[in-house]
Amino acid sequence: MKVNLESMPRMVSGIKKVRDTIITNIVLIGEKSAPTFKEKGRAVLFQERLAEFQIDECTTDSYQNPIGIIRGSDRNKPPIFVVAHLDTHEPYQEFFDFTVRKNTISGPGVADNSTGVGVLISLPVILKQLKLKFRSDIVLAGVIQSIGKGNLRGVRHLIKTWNGPIRGAICVEGVELGRLNHYSEGMVRAEIDCLSSSIPGRDKRNNSNAILIMNELINKILEMRLPQRPYSKIVLGKINGGYHHGRDAFDASLGLEIKSDADDLVKELINEIEDITENLKRLYEVDLKLKVISNLNATRLKFNHPLVKYANSVMKTLNLEPKSESSESELSIFLSNSIPAVTLGVTRLKTLNPEPCVEIDPIFKGIAQIIGVLQAIDNGVCDGRKLA
Amino acid sequence: MAENWLDTNTFHHSEFSSIDRLVKAKKKKEVVISLCLPTLNEEKTIAKEIVIMKSELMDRHPLLDEIIVIDSGSSDKTREVATHYGAQVHLSSDILPDLESFKGKGENLWKALYVSKGDIIVYLDTDIKNIHHRFAYGLLGPLLLDEKIRFSKAFYDRPLSDETKGIRPTGGGRVTELVIRPLFSLFFPDLTQIIQPLSGEYAGYRDLFEALAFPIGYSIETSMIIDIYKNWGLEVMAQVDLDRRVHRNQTTRSLGKMAFALMQRFLTRISDYNMIQLKDELNDRMIQFENRAQEYQQDISKFDMQERPPIITIPQYRERFTTAPKKDGKSGRKT
Repeated sequence: MKVNLESMPRMVSGIKKVRDTIITNIVLIGEKSAPTFKEKGRAVLFQERLAEFQIDECTTDSYQNPIGIIRGSDRNKPPIFVVAHLDTHEPYQEFFDFTVRKNTISGPGVADNSTGVGVLISLPVILKQLKLKFRSDIVLAGVIQSIGKGNLRGVRHLIKTWNGPIRGAICVEGVELGRLNHYSEGMVRAEIDCLSSSIPGRDKRNNSNAILIMNELINKILEMRLPQRPYSKIVLGKINGGYHHGRDAFDASLGLEIKSDADDLVKELINEIEDITENLKRLYEVDLKLKVISNLNATRLKFNHPLVKYANSVMKTLNLEPKSESSESELSIFLSNSIPAVTLGVTRLKTLNPEPCVEIDPIFKGIAQIIGVLQAIDNGVCDGRKLA
Repeated sequence: MAENWLDTNTFHHSEFSSIDRLVKAKKKKEVVISLCLPTLNEEKTIAKEIVIMKSELMDRHPLLDEIIVIDSGSSDKTREVATHYGAQVHLSSDILPDLESFKGKGENLWKALYVSKGDIIVYLDTDIKNIHHRFAYGLLGPLLLDEKIRFSKAFYDRPLSDETKGIRPTGGGRVTELVIRPLFSLFFPDLTQIIQPLSGEYAGYRDLFEALAFPIGYSIETSMIIDIYKNWGLEVMAQVDLDRRVHRNQTTRSLGKMAFALMQRFLTRISDYNMIQLKDELNDRMIQFENRAQEYQQDISKFDMQERPPIITIPQYRERFTTAPKKDGKSGRKT
C-alpha cells in the first residue's frame, strides 16, 4: 500500500522533460476566456487537447463537464478523480494574452485556475513519459460553473450522476504549492441589494440614501454576537453603491460570506442577517433583498486519515511544507459525498499586479506530489476507510 | 488574370491539422524543415512562440527539425530567453562576418538561409500574441502535400490589440488596402488574389529562397511575392487562412513610413522588370510633419534601398550547401 517515496525526486526530473508541453497547455488553456457560465470554448479545447494526447476515452457528461479517462488495469477498482475547475474570475474577452518568461508565466487567471487545468490535461503525457500505469481508471475532469454564482454546480452534477463508487479524488488548484486542504467549513455566500427608488408610487424626494441604509445594515451585522466555539466568522467581502458624488445613492450592494465549523450555526447566522434585512426594508421602505448565491456543508477528512498522512509524506519528501486550511471548493462536494479527497496546489504565485504571474520551476514538484498522491490512492490508501 | 488560383491555391489551416499526415509526407519527401524567427527586442513574446512550436511540432510530432532565432542585436533578454527554451540563437552580425552587416528583418531572413539546414524554411514573425502551432503546420501543409506548391503565405483576420480596451475586431491591414492592393491592381492583377501580401508568416523551399534577392527592411514581403511571381509564376504559390492573428497596433505615422518603403521598393522592382521607366532616382527620404509647441516641424526618415543578392551567389553559402544533385535532380545540401 506504500508509495515509493524515494522515487519522488527522480520523478521531478522526468516531468521536466515534458516542460514545454506543460507550459503550452497552461498557455493555450489560459488564453481561452472562461468566465463562470461561459466555459464552452475552454471545455472544447480541454477535450481537443486530451484527444490529441490519445487518451483512452474523451467525452462530456450531461452537464457539459469535459472528461478524459485513462483506463486502469483492474476493472474491479473504482476510478480515481482528478479535477480542476475550468472557470475563472476574469470577465469574457475574446483572447487573453499570456506571457512566458524564463521562469514565469503571466496572464489573467493564470493562478486561478489555468495552471491547474493546464497541468490536469498534461497528465496523460506526463504519465506516459514516466511510464506509470494504474489499476484504477483515472478520470480527468474539468468542472464548469464552480466559482462564485456557479456554486460548484459542475462538480455536484458530475458526482451525482456518476455511475458507481469513486475511490478517491484530487482537486488541483494553480496555487499555492504546499497547500494540503482536507476539510471545508460550512459556508454561505450571500448578496444583499438595496434599491431605494424602485418602490412604486413612492415620492422620489423622500428616497433614503442606499449607501446609508447599507451602512446601517453593516453596523447591525457587526453587532451580532458570534460564539468562540464552534468557530464562526462573517466576512464582508465586497461593496458597491452610488453613481455620482453629488447625488444620493439609489442603489448599493454588499457581498458577504459566513463560515463555521457547524452547519447549524451558519444557518442561524444567515437567518439572523435575513431578519435584519427585512426590518430595515420595512423601516426605510426600500427594496432590500438578501440572496444566497452559494452554500456548502462543513465536511472533513481527519488529519490522521491515511490519505492526508500519505499526502503529507509525499510533500515532505519533495521538501514541501504542507499547509492545512479550509477550502470551500470542489473538495467539499467530494467529502460531503463520502469520497476521500484533498486539494493540492501546483506552483507559487509570484505577483498579482499588474497581472497574476506564476513560477515555472515549482510546477514540476507540484505535479510530482499529485502523482504521488494518485499512486497512494491507487495503492488502496482510501479503501475501506471512513472519512472521519 | 489567373481566375482559378483563388479557388485552387487557397487553403484553411484546419485542412492540415492532422500533423501525423504531414510528418508522413515529410518523411516520404526526405526533407528537413527549419523554423526561422527574426527578432529585435521580443523578450515578451519569443518564449511562448518557441515553447509552443517545440512542444507541438518537435517533441510531440517530429515535423520541425530546428528552431532558429536570428536576432538583430536586441537590448533586452530576447537571446537569453530563446536560448533557455532550446532555440538555436544567432546574432545577425555574427553570421557571414566578412560581409557588411545591416539591421533589418530582411537581413535576418536572408542570413537564416546560411545558418539553417532545412530544405523547407518557415518564417514567422515574433510579435504574434495568439501564437499557435497552426501558424507553422498550416503553412507547411500545401508545401508537403501538393507537389506544385513551392511557397505558401499566411492570411488571417487581423484584430488589433489595444492595451487598454482589449481587442478591437477590425482595422488591420491598412497599408495592404491603401497601398499594396492598388499597386498590384495596376501592375500585377494576378497578385491581388493574395489576401494578405504583407503577412510576415510564410514558408517555402530553400531552392526558391536562395535564388531571391532580399531587401533589408520592411519591403521584403512585397518584393518576395513579385519576384516569385515573375520567376516561377502564381501557380507555385499558395495562401493559407490561419484564422486570427493578434498583433500590436501601429500608429498611422509609422504605417506612413512603412507605406513609403513599400512604394519605394515596388517602383524600383517594376522598373527593374522594365514595366516602367524611372527617369531619376527615387528620393530616399520620407517627409512627415509634426505639430510641436504650435509649430509644424519636419520629421525626415531615410530609407536605404539596401538589398542582399540571392544568397546562392555568395561563395561561402555555395561552399556550405553543395550543389551535388539529389536523386530527384534537385540540388543537394552539404550540411
